[in-house]
Amino acid sequence: MGYNVTINRQGLSALFDLKGKKGAMSDHAGGILPVFPDQHNTYTQSAGSTLFHIGRNHWILRGDISAEDTLISTLKPDQAPSDVSIVQVSDTLTFFSVVGADAAQVMSIACPLDLHSSVFGADAVTYTEVFGLKALVLRQEGGFEFAVEQSFGDLIQDYLDRAIA
Amino acid sequence: MLRITCPYCGSRNESEFLFGGPVGTERPDPNTTSDADWIEYLTVKPNPLGPVQERWWHARGCGEWLTIWRDTRTHDIVEAPNDTE
Repeated sequence: MGYNVTINRQGLSALFDLKGKKGAMSDHAGGILPVFPDQHNTYTQSAGSTLFHIGRNHWILRGDISAEDTLISTLKPDQAPSDVSIVQVSDTLTFFSVVGADAAQVMSIACPLDLHSSVFGADAVTYTEVFGLKALVLRQEGGFEFAVEQSFGDLIQDYLDRAIA
Repeated sequence: MLRITCPYCGSRNESEFLFGGPVGTERPDPNTTSDADWIEYLTVKPNPLGPVQERWWHARGCGEWLTIWRDTRTHDIVEAPNDTE
């Protein structure tokens, strides 16, 4: 019996690694970014961009790959003040979406973290492990998304295929 | 497997962390300390039978460094002994 789940390996996203104090980041790029998440390990979205709060003074901005050049020109990484770091990391992560009625069951095979909705809410995102690899896991409508280092993409695809077979 | 509480992410599996070694004594000034004391500082790490203070890095998580007390007899994470800060 298979799982009622749809797994998609997604194309590239525009990704930017943002480090620095919230105030400094807001002064430099606040007008472009979605509202900063109130809580750590949560995310906010606006105008096609998503802002993941994934560590102390550490965020990841995700947008559509078609908006990458626009984001670079507006974020101005090369003009960031010394207490702010903005690094384009679009080609470092591969995202997978796992959606469907059995998405939680498939994720429970891959990830040891408690992903029940009472613990891992609708706007939750965190770095943890998926199939033993460091991965960025987030909840999305109808399931989950996770990202692993780009070079592990084929491996993870194979693991997922075996998990749901 | 240990469950380690990250101050940022909460309780997580030990597999998300990397061991950063025991918390040793403060680094002495190499210009004023004796060779014996300097070698002692560099090479002799705390290895008690009982609670030991350790550093752990949440490498597969948020990247925080944290300090815990672990009892080497039981492998349990424990409260800091009463005579420590």
